[in-house]
Amino acid sequence: MAKYPKPLSRLIDELRKLPGIGPKTAQRLAFYIIEEPMESVESLASALTFAKEKIRYCSTCYNLTDTDPCAICSDSTREQSIICVVEGARDIVALEKTRSFKGLYHVLHGAIAPLEGIGPGDLRVKELLERLQGPINEVILATDPDVEGEATAMYLARLIKPLGIKVTRIAHGMPVGGDLEYVDEITLTKALEGRREL
Amino acid sequence: MRTRNLGEADKIVTMYTSARGKIVAVARGARRTRNRLLGVTQVFTHGRYLMFEGKSMDTLSQGEIIHSFQEIRDDLEKMAAAMYICELVDAFVEVEEANQETFDLISNTLRMIETGVVKFALRVFELKIMQQLGYEPQLQTCTHCGGSVAEQVMFSREGGAVCESCKHKAAPVHVISKGTRALISRILEWDWSRLTILRPSSQSLEELESCMRAYIDYRLDKPMRSLEFMHTLNDFPDSEVTS
Repeated sequence: MAKYPKPLSRLIDELRKLPGIGPKTAQRLAFYIIEEPMESVESLASALTFAKEKIRYCSTCYNLTDTDPCAICSDSTREQSIICVVEGARDIVALEKTRSFKGLYHVLHGAIAPLEGIGPGDLRVKELLERLQGPINEVILATDPDVEGEATAMYLARLIKPLGIKVTRIAHGMPVGGDLEYVDEITLTKALEGRREL
Repeated sequence: MRTRNLGEADKIVTMYTSARGKIVAVARGARRTRNRLLGVTQVFTHGRYLMFEGKSMDTLSQGEIIHSFQEIRDDLEKMAAAMYICELVDAFVEVEEANQETFDLISNTLRMIETGVVKFALRVFELKIMQQLGYEPQLQTCTHCGGSVAEQVMFSREGGAVCESCKHKAAPVHVISKGTRALISRILEWDWSRLTILRPSSQSLEELESCMRAYIDYRLDKPMRSLEFMHTLNDFPDSEVTS
């Protein structure tokens, strides 16, 4: 990066650290930022530091929040006896878009991935079990339907079932608008298993 | 055998193929819900794949599932065992070294795990993969001095029997019974169809597990990550692992 002035080179280096940003994209972004008016750049810089300063984990569900407890946990109109367990904070956004779940959430911050060295101790499992000491009737396991997500769901089910709490798993099957012909056999098997009467 | 996320929607897939051995390929868009590679790039899948050769990495183009090992996916112990198999292959086998025997070994072991014979499948796999890699344990003579060994073998982590006078040089050693010694010989000599009729004792399986653990750790020189998870499962009171 010797060909660029030091401040620009530093900006490129910092941008390159972001996920999915390669050297060329970093250069393009850096040039874009430099050519922007000062107010826009200051707004971007303050948004970065403001978000970093204000955003933390909710002490109840471990979702990202600027208030503790978060807006979902402190909403008394939501059903307090159902917890939906997800891998990441972005999963909550996806589920909230459906507007069909009115219970509470719990973010694990990952899934059990033994091959990557991530075990149950690296997730917010202990915190979930502590929450289950309260009046909870059902836990919905909404981890991803891949090997890591399934391992996590099965592991949690084993921990929670002896507590006498109902444990459910989100359904697997055909995507809406999908073409049956092109669906793989694992998904089709799951779709057949989870069929329901009309 | 393993997948890693790449960018927003892609995956890097490590697979063991009969034609080219272990290969690493990119599956573009394989994390999108409606992508046709989504199902075929799930770990433990036995399938038929079409790939384009690339400069640094191949690109996965199409795939068809032959066997999905659904029963492994639906059972935590079986899944943990299958993960251990994948980690062992990934750790020991070099990229692009085709070996039909290794392919068959992985396939047969996963099928045995699927039927519920988990512990024995793992021990057979450990011994046979070491044999295929040229690390077959030596049980007939002392690996240190070449002298004769007693019927009740002392197994060193260096991968073989040691005699009474050499055992201090090879410490720690695992003492294995006559029955376990015979079991090791059968596993190494017999083909898969004959092995499936064996029903070893739990004592033999435990002895074999501890000596192979020490041997593999010695050869690998790094801890096996999937083992920790497998041990976590043993803490559950209703652990349902069969031999």
